[in-house]
Parts: sequence; C-alpha cells; structure tokens
Amino acid sequence: MPLNSSCRENGEIIISSGDRLTIENASELARIFNEALDSSKNVAIEFEPAVEVDITGLQLICSACKSAAAKGCNFSYHGLMPPALTEMIIASGAARHAICRHNNDSTCIWFGGTH
Amino acid sequence: MMEEAVATYRDEAGELLAELETSLLELEETPDDNDLINRVFRAMHTIKGSGAMFGFDEIASFTHEVETVFDMVRNGKMTVTKRLLDLTLKSRDHISYLLNASVGEDVDRSAGDEIIAGLRQLLPQTELPQKGSSEVPSINLPEISPDELSNESTWRIRFRPAPNLIMCGTNPISLINELRGLGTAQVVAQFDEIPQLDELVPESCHIYWDIILTTSRGEDAIRDVFIFVEDDCDIKIELIDSSGLIDREEGYKKLGDILVERGDLSPVEMKKVLMLQKRFGELLVEKGIVSPEKVQSALVEQQHVKSVRKERNEAPQQETAASIRVPAEKLDQLINLVGEMVTVQAHLSQVSLAGGDSTFIAISEEVERLTNELRDTALNIRMLPIGSTFSKFKRLVRDLSGELGKEIEMETFGAETELDKTVIEKLNDPLVHIIRNSIDHGIEMPVVRRAAGKPGIGKVYLGAEHSGDSVLITIRDDGAGLDRDAIRAKALERGLLPANSEASDREIYSMIFAPGFSTAAKVTSVSGRGVGMDVVKRGIEGLRGSIGVDSVRGSGTTITLKIPLTLAIIDSLLVKIGKDHFVLPLAAVEECVELTREDIKNSHGRNLANVRGAIVPYIPLRQHFGITEQSPEIEQIVIASIHGTKVGFVVDNVVGEHQTVIKSLGKMYRDVKGVSGATILGDGTVALILDMGSLLQTIELMELSTKGS
Repeated sequence: MPLNSSCRENGEIIISSGDRLTIENASELARIFNEALDSSKNVAIEFEPAVEVDITGLQLICSACKSAAAKGCNFSYHGLMPPALTEMIIASGAARHAICRHNNDSTCIWFGGTH
Repeated sequence: MMEEAVATYRDEAGELLAELETSLLELEETPDDNDLINRVFRAMHTIKGSGAMFGFDEIASFTHEVETVFDMVRNGKMTVTKRLLDLTLKSRDHISYLLNASVGEDVDRSAGDEIIAGLRQLLPQTELPQKGSSEVPSINLPEISPDELSNESTWRIRFRPAPNLIMCGTNPISLINELRGLGTAQVVAQFDEIPQLDELVPESCHIYWDIILTTSRGEDAIRDVFIFVEDDCDIKIELIDSSGLIDREEGYKKLGDILVERGDLSPVEMKKVLMLQKRFGELLVEKGIVSPEKVQSALVEQQHVKSVRKERNEAPQQETAASIRVPAEKLDQLINLVGEMVTVQAHLSQVSLAGGDSTFIAISEEVERLTNELRDTALNIRMLPIGSTFSKFKRLVRDLSGELGKEIEMETFGAETELDKTVIEKLNDPLVHIIRNSIDHGIEMPVVRRAAGKPGIGKVYLGAEHSGDSVLITIRDDGAGLDRDAIRAKALERGLLPANSEASDREIYSMIFAPGFSTAAKVTSVSGRGVGMDVVKRGIEGLRGSIGVDSVRGSGTTITLKIPLTLAIIDSLLVKIGKDHFVLPLAAVEECVELTREDIKNSHGRNLANVRGAIVPYIPLRQHFGITEQSPEIEQIVIASIHGTKVGFVVDNVVGEHQTVIKSLGKMYRDVKGVSGATILGDGTVALILDMGSLLQTIELMELSTKGS
C-alpha cells in the first residue's frame, strides 16, 4: 500500500499509513506529516489494519504530535488504532496517563488512550 | 552444570504442574477462592520464568498466554468458568508434554495453538486506559515464591540508546524484553527528547527508558543484557531496594527524593516546591520544573518498590534450608546400603553369639540398635503422602464423567497417609483401572439414579489409612453395585466355578479379577474388555498386597487394597526345612502350631489340621520344594491368612522373626511361581522369600489338573 494523503472538503488532511510505520519509510512519512501540518489545521492518519509498527514509528507519531501542538494544529487518527501500534505502545512502556505539556497539557490521545 | 539446572527445572516444573492440577480441580469447587487463583497464577508464572531461563522457550511462550488469562482473573476482569478450567487443565497437559520433550526437539504445536485460541476467545476486549485517567497505572506484580523473595533486589535502570542503535540493527524493545525476563519490570519510555519533525532524524533513536526491575539475578545479569551495546549507549544501573537491607518497611522514598536521586530535580528546586502546600508531582509539572513523564516514571518506581516490599513482608518467613532436594536414585542407593548393613549386622550378631564373648556381644547389640534406627530413618525418608496422587484421580473422574455424560464427584480422605515412593508409583495403574471401572460400570447415568431415588450426582470415594505395617486404600462408589448373579453365571460359563458350586459372595466377586472376565454387554472406550481388573490384581500382588471386594446391589461397591508400607525391607518369619531357610512375610502370618506324625497320620493324606476345633488346610512345603531329607518328629505349621482364608504352611522349624532385605531374583526366575524374591542371611546363605498367595494358587491349580487328568 503506497503512502499518500488526501484532503477533505473541510480542509482536513488524511494520511494513509501504508502497510509499514517502520524505519524503512520513517523519513518519507516524516516529510508527509510535516507538509500536511504546514498545509492544514487538522491532520489525521488512517491506519491500515495490518500495518507494521516499530519504535521509529512510535517516535515519529510523538514528534508529529509535538509539531502539531506547536503549530496549533490537531493531529489525530481515524478509525481504530491498529493492533501493532497498541502492542508497540505496551511493549515499549509508552502507555501513559500524565498530561503532555507538548500537547497543550492534555492527556495524550496516542499513548494515553483518550482518543 | 547447565544439564543439572535443566534437570532441576524439569523436577520443579513437574511438581508445579501437579500443584497446578490440584489447585484447578479445587477451584472448580470454589471458583471465587482468591488463594487458589493466586496459586494457579504463581505456578504458571514460575514455570514460565524458569522455562525461559533454562531454554524452554516453547514452554515460556505458551505458559505466558495462560498466565495472561489468569492475571485477568486475579484482577477481577474475568471469572472462573468451566470452559476456562477445561482449557487450563489442557494447558497443564500441554506444558507437561513440552516439558518431556528434549530442549530443541521439534514439538507438535497444534494442541497448544488450539488451547491458546480457546483462551483468547475468553478474553475481554483488550483496552488501553480510559480518558481522563490521571493516575499511575496500577501495578500487578506477579507473585514470587518465597525462595525468589529471599534474595531479590530492585534496580533502577536508565537506558539511553545511542542515536544510531536502530540503524545498526538493534531493536531496543528486545533488550527491554530481556530485562523483563529477569524478573518483574516496570518500563517507562521517555519522550521528552523527541524533537519536532523539523529536527527529527527519523531513523535515530530519540527515546530513552527508565526501568524498575525486581530480580533475584544480580547486577551482572542486568549488564549482560546490554553487553553488545554498552560501549555506545548510556546505561545507568542503581540498586534501590534489596531483601537483604535491614530496612524492611513497606513504605518507600518520597517522590522528590527519587527525582533528586535520578538527577531530574535539584535539591534547591525541591525545597522551593515543598513550600507550596500542594501535591508534589502536580506542583513540579505546574511549575515546569520536571516533565510529567519524569514524574510518572518516578511514581512508577515508588509504587513498584512499595508493592515489592509489601509482598516481601507478607511472604511467610522462610526457614533457612528447611528442606533440600535429593535425586531419587541417591535415596535408592542409601536404602541398598542400609540393606547391606542390616545383612552384615545379622552376621555380626550370629558370630558374636557363637563366640560367647560378653564384650563382643554388647558391641554387637549396640550395632544392632543403631542399624535398626538407621533402617527406620532411611525408610522414612522415602515415605511420601499418598495425597500427591489423589489429584490425578480427581482429574480422571472429572474428564471421564464428562466423556460418559455422567455427573460424578470424587471425595478423598487420608491424603496425608504416607507410603514408600516406589509403592505410590506402582499403585497408579491399579487405581486408574479400579476408578475407571467405578465410573463406567458402577455409577449409573443421572436419569437412572434419579429413577432409583438416588441423587443425580454419583460419588466415588478414595481414601487411605494406616493398618499396622500396611496401608488400606479404599475405593468406594455409590453406584449400582456388582451383579452377583451375572458374575456367577459368567464364571460358570467360563468354567471358573464348578457347576452347582456354593461359592460365597466374596468368592464370586473375586471372579472379576480373572483374566478376560467381563460381564459388560458392550465395550466402551473406558472399560468393558475384561482386561483392567486382571491388571489390578497382578499389580497389587506385585506389591505384596491383597484385594478385597464388597458390594451391595443398588448401593455400590467397595474395593479395599491392603499394601505394605515399603518394598525394601520387611518384617518376616524365618523358617527352616532341611538345611534350607525360607522367609514368610510376617504381615500375613497369624500363628504357628505343632504338627506331629500322629496328626499327619490322622488326617489320612488330606493335609488338614484341627486347630482349636477349626479345620485348617495345610501345604507341606518340604514336599512342594522336593526336599528329600528326613522330616523331624514334630513339624511346625505356619498359619497365614490369605484373602481371608486360613492356610497352613508346614516347615521343619521356625527360627524366629527376621528383618528381611528384599533382593529381586534375576530375569531367569521371573516366571517361578510362589517365590517373590530372596534375601541374604547373616551367615551369607540365601533364603527364598515365599509369596504365600501365589504359592497357594499354584498348588490349587496343580491339584485341579491332577484331578482332571
């Protein structure tokens, strides 16, 4: 599944995760996220259910989230969180419930399960 | 060394599996019993943890799945159901299978996969923590055995990977999982150094980790995890709690102290914040002094150590080296040596008495006393409570009754009764056959039971109790009882009873032990082929035991096994015929009476003696063993009780009671009837140990065939 993004009528940009959120395409995804956050106030990822995730995928999401907060944008996901991402959050000890000061002092929608 | 460790693991895992089975069966009766749930979890956890350590990866990964389910049960997220217990019992069997396979051997995973699939179906939807939750996640520490608790320590590890770690092909999650394998770990990934996208090098590792690990393995084991990356990564390992510390309070350091120790907060900043009367963590975050992630990480450490200390304090204070593990072969060797000692001591007694030197006799008597004590102690070491096998039978009843559509409960008593280890092992097969018969033929279908005015649930009782130097094992059911007429008819048909025989109930019931005897109209997968009870009889007789059957039609059947406490050394009666000595097991001997030539003459060749008005048949052993020397004027009849019948064995004279060390006969003598073994006497000569039941049977058969021809 190729990486791509699409823009909805309300201006929201939806980025497809493709089938790998891993080191192989981390750079390409970082570029797409950055461009999307520069173009829209609302950016979301649409995950492939069977997407593979590694630790670089996790830190890319965190980085994008921090960038979005700094730019006053929303960065979220549509639909269900894929099992591989959930497993990576648990395995890496990323699950957290404290507020994130990079995320306007809100609890993390990604690693705190508040989506 | 590793082989020894693996063997120890196998032994311990075997014991844990037995304990697991018992707990699961008890849990079926009391599904809300938290102690039992914890026991199941603890057994799984230990099997998994040690399995991973000794290279049983298959066991570790499979057990992990089952442990996960029981963790949810422990935390009240799931309830104990019959389906869960079914699958967990199957898991126990699968672990046992994996355990018996060699390390590295290919194993059949299909059964395990099916069980895991079944368990996963029972799991509630996995969910991440809910919105708005601002508390630290609750810590569910796996329970740890007292052994582990005694030398465990808690470590604070900060693992800051080199930026190029991932690009070099190392997965930091694998390292973290290795740490998890060492004990109980709480892992917090720190994201504060992840930059925004503009500055992010996506392939570099910007995350670092705080890990709080409780383990009994020591610092070297932790360092070994990082052995290939330690030159490039920043790894800080600090001991923060140990069971060896004098401070055994349940509490732990305050949050501020932890953060200062970690270097995440300066003492000056801490004092400033403490001046404000608010929760310390909240204030630190509010003031922007420490990131929320770091506060959370410190809170995790605080809670982890508190939980470990609490658990440690609650654990029973272990007695130092209360018991040690010794391989069974060493015990066998000890018993053999004690046996030799008993033989030598008998020789010493004989020589000292012949010499007549009072000092020598006194020393010999002292050696005899010590040898007897040593013998009793050594035999006692091999004694195990029979209850360890009872849980297997509970499982058998549970599984078979389900298979046959019957409702049966098993009740046990006397589980603490001790028997020699070897005897317990050899009792397994006979008990399986008897219980299977009770379930299949004894207990009726629920409909039939209710129609007969009985409760729908049938009962099988299994119990053990001491009786002199034997143990009585009773297997009783409240089923239909034996069909006396059907057994009699079948016995007549097969020629096992003479036509028009007036056999007693006991004699008729004993027919069920004849080879191939079955009155079952149909053969089921469980029983009915007429093989089992024959095996039972041979098994019990092989243990020098006896079987009794009692039954009441419509009310049930009771089978009683009388088993000697040990197979190694027995109390016996030493007798002499001509120049030869023979040994008769004392347990069956009732009395000795004289037999004069006059008595023999009066019995007119019928071999019957009048003992205080009762007629007792006897076997002249001299004749049976073909001893040609002249018999004495007055012989002795040793009267024994065999299957409830009194039978005499005629010998020249009775030497007296004897401690007999049993030596097995070689393979060449395996089929010799009437002799169960041999022993070495004090003067070095060999005496045969007579199997009185088998001897009687052989002579009866010989007489029958003589009459027939």
